[in-house]
Amino acid sequence: MNVAEKIANYGTRIFDPSQMRIRRFNFKLIARLSGMLLIILSCAMVFPLAVSLYYRDGAQFDLALSGVIILLLGLMLRNILGHNASYELHEKESFWITSIIWLLVPLTGSLPYLFTGATGSFTDAAFESFSGFTTTGASVIKDLDHTPQGLLVWRSMTQWIGGLGLILFIIALLKKLNVGSVQLYDAEFSGTIQRKLHPHLATSVSLMWMIYLGLTVGLVILLLLCGNEFIDAFCIATSAISTGGFMVHTAGLAGMSQLSLALITLFMFISGVNIALLYKLATGKIRLLSHNEEFRIYVGIFAGAAVLSAVAFFLKGYPLQRSVCYSLFHVASTISTCGLSLPTPHVWPLAVSGVTFFLIIVGASAGSTGGGLKIKRLMILRRYVHNYFTRMLHPNVAFSVTIDGERISDEYINKIFAFAFMYIIFIVGGAFVLTICGVDIPTAVCVAAANIGNLGPSPLINALGANFEYGNLLPLAKWTLMVLMLVGRIEIFAILAIFSPAYWRR
Amino acid sequence: MKRTDIYAILRPLGIPLMGEGAMMLLCIIPSLHFHDGTTAQMLCCGLFTLCIGLLMLLSIAKQTERVDRRVPYIIVALIWVVLSTFGTLPFLATGALHSFSDALFESMSGFTSTGATIFADIEHLPPSVLLWRSMSQWIGGFGIILLILAIVPSLGINKYSLYTAEASGAESVDKTSSSVSTTIRRTLVIYIALTLVFVVLLRLTGMHVWDAVNLVFTNISSGGFSIYNDSLSAITIQQQYILALAMFFSGINFMLLFYLATFRYRRIRHKLDQFSFYLGIAVLAIAVVALALHYKMDWSWSDSLRCSTVQTISVLTTTGSLVADTSTWWTPILFFYVMLSLCGGMAGSTSGGLKIMRVLILFRNTRNILRNRLHPYAINPVRLNGMPVTHPIINNVMVIFFVYLFTIIAGVLLLMLSGVNATESFGACIACITGYGPGLGATGGFGSYAGFTVVAKYIASLLMLMGRLECLTVIILFLPRFWHR
Repeated sequence: MNVAEKIANYGTRIFDPSQMRIRRFNFKLIARLSGMLLIILSCAMVFPLAVSLYYRDGAQFDLALSGVIILLLGLMLRNILGHNASYELHEKESFWITSIIWLLVPLTGSLPYLFTGATGSFTDAAFESFSGFTTTGASVIKDLDHTPQGLLVWRSMTQWIGGLGLILFIIALLKKLNVGSVQLYDAEFSGTIQRKLHPHLATSVSLMWMIYLGLTVGLVILLLLCGNEFIDAFCIATSAISTGGFMVHTAGLAGMSQLSLALITLFMFISGVNIALLYKLATGKIRLLSHNEEFRIYVGIFAGAAVLSAVAFFLKGYPLQRSVCYSLFHVASTISTCGLSLPTPHVWPLAVSGVTFFLIIVGASAGSTGGGLKIKRLMILRRYVHNYFTRMLHPNVAFSVTIDGERISDEYINKIFAFAFMYIIFIVGGAFVLTICGVDIPTAVCVAAANIGNLGPSPLINALGANFEYGNLLPLAKWTLMVLMLVGRIEIFAILAIFSPAYWRR
Repeated sequence: MKRTDIYAILRPLGIPLMGEGAMMLLCIIPSLHFHDGTTAQMLCCGLFTLCIGLLMLLSIAKQTERVDRRVPYIIVALIWVVLSTFGTLPFLATGALHSFSDALFESMSGFTSTGATIFADIEHLPPSVLLWRSMSQWIGGFGIILLILAIVPSLGINKYSLYTAEASGAESVDKTSSSVSTTIRRTLVIYIALTLVFVVLLRLTGMHVWDAVNLVFTNISSGGFSIYNDSLSAITIQQQYILALAMFFSGINFMLLFYLATFRYRRIRHKLDQFSFYLGIAVLAIAVVALALHYKMDWSWSDSLRCSTVQTISVLTTTGSLVADTSTWWTPILFFYVMLSLCGGMAGSTSGGLKIMRVLILFRNTRNILRNRLHPYAINPVRLNGMPVTHPIINNVMVIFFVYLFTIIAGVLLLMLSGVNATESFGACIACITGYGPGLGATGGFGSYAGFTVVAKYIASLLMLMGRLECLTVIILFLPRFWHR
């Protein structure tokens, strides 16, 4: 076929009416993929079930029942609704898949909470589950000590599964899906320039999972070596690595030794680093660390915030060693948007509250499991603003924003700005609904910011000077917070796209 | 910085100072009429300010040499600082206020047409001071329009840098057709005409001229000082609606009003996008608040509609007149108002906030990004009045938005560090930066800022200044880069 023929054929393919058909949404594929994920979820239920049987905590039947229900639902979706699905994926479906999966999985994941009765209502169960899968860590369960161990393990596992992102789960599993997987990947991870680890996306995602798994197993073993119980070690490790923040005891981390706390601090810090960078480190390219600008800023912010809060604590009259340890833990927990906290001091120094708020907004590195606006985005924005001020004085100088030696286009900067703008709008909107539910204004803003940043637990929010408890919220407030968590976890524009009129226009 | 540059900075301050002195002398009129015993003090203040201004103007020869690029930024910030500093004289001389921080706060609040007040009891002030407060807002309101429409272009501040929205695409049509002096003349005509019309309207409803003048001065400039302790709730319903209209006008671009008044409708076309958005937001917000007042606070329909209309317009144009004690209103309404005041009126009006045009660009940009994700190869730029807005301009609007936001966060934190509680800092910071005035908690409603510590008052004054000059112009003065070389 020569060129002319090709062009001619190309033309007919587009304009030949017999060839034209309205492309339907590939619902089958969506059903199949979500079904597969549910089946995996039910397989994951085996582990909490085993724990439950071992401890005889009385939750075994509930866990088994929910596991079976999830399995059946998954099989139905995968083999009946998603039968013969074609693996053709387009932009429109990729938004849908992301959103549907992120709704379906947490909703089914709330079954164990409902069956065991650990949470009162469906809203509470859903809240706990959403909070887990989005690695927020906000909890409505007040009495953890009397919660079945099996359920606690399930709770921690949801964080771990959601930590890297449900979509990455699918991509890693489905090497077949290579065509549309980049779009899927974008829908969950975009807004940050993500260098792939491997030319084949599925392989690089598998590598990311390996690192993630490796870190978790490492921390569990280390914590066990420190003499912690298995349940504690497992739950806290998954909380720290996935930057979730669920606790195991009502008393929090009070019972842990200094060494374990130090380990947790270190791993929280690591989990706020870009996983791609961690992979490169693991392969021995240590020099990259000092060249990576985002990592340098991350360390800088961490150090600055830790020093500032240590000084603030020290000036409040805490002993030196305690203020240093405390602020290191607190800052690592906040910057990685993990949310674990030590027993709180009665009065937080105002400077620490300020630092905490700043860290909540900033968040972790791009490409990490943490949330927030992400340091890389803010670096780009800061550099643009910096250039802008210079341009006010020297109007004819041309500037460009560069990160790691790469020039960033105006269009891309515009996207980041728009992202940050929508992020703020969601915080404001969420805070508004919270005020309707009777929360006072500053608390509402802080809670909304913490939840969209996937940093949930109330002790950390109370570090901002509030006196706040999730359990006391109205259902409307809880659902709003769930939306915020989702928005913070998936890419904002992927959700908004579904609601935009342009999406539905043919 | 050379010596000639310093002259170039001082000289433009002379004329506004002389104007300020003349205004102070005008305050003698009510003083004489009401026999409040402050005539001598006001006379001294006026003459002193006038003399200083005259000295500045005469002693420094006009420079023809090309001045440093930094000079305009310093001038713009200094005009407000100097006017406010001299504006403290009447408060201090008449003994209405005793400390400089209080007087500066009140004066800054006047000249930035914010409307945040330090006085708990306004009705006991001497009439001359009352008129001075109102007058300072009237001057301030006029000043900001002059700054944006005339002074900034004439000082040669780079058009892409500062009032970006004004300089972008559609707006530049005006710039080419009218010179600076025409713009000043037209603005002045419209401003004075509006003032007169509303004074007459209020007079027709039976209000005393004294009250009418004061109220119109503070509302047409989107300031919000009042001569009553109860702000607008002290006047009749009819008068409230008239003032709501005045506030609504204060949020409209003054060139648009000029073209409307001179029947040049083709010129208006370039501003219709902004205007319809302004109108749309106003109507929507009024409806929402009216519903909330009726259903949530059990007000009668007529009351909730009236209060919602007047108060929402007051918030949207960042005026700050109060139709009722808003501090007792339902919290979500107050939060909504805080956010609405961030939005502000149209660019080129007396109102503060981010300005409607910027908000419009920000939202349209979001819509566009969504469209681009669905159709990655389609070319559809953000359009304003049918003209494409390029990425650099949108990004500049974004810069202003984020610097604004950053200033707010920093301001809240500083206020909290100076000992104000969280709710009040949040409310006061945004109220000062947008130029709305009443904050939340003790500073909201018919309350005052009297409870602030001295440091907090200075911070609030700085925030007002930053808000009025759109943050960037003030922040750049604090950058080390600015003073290098």
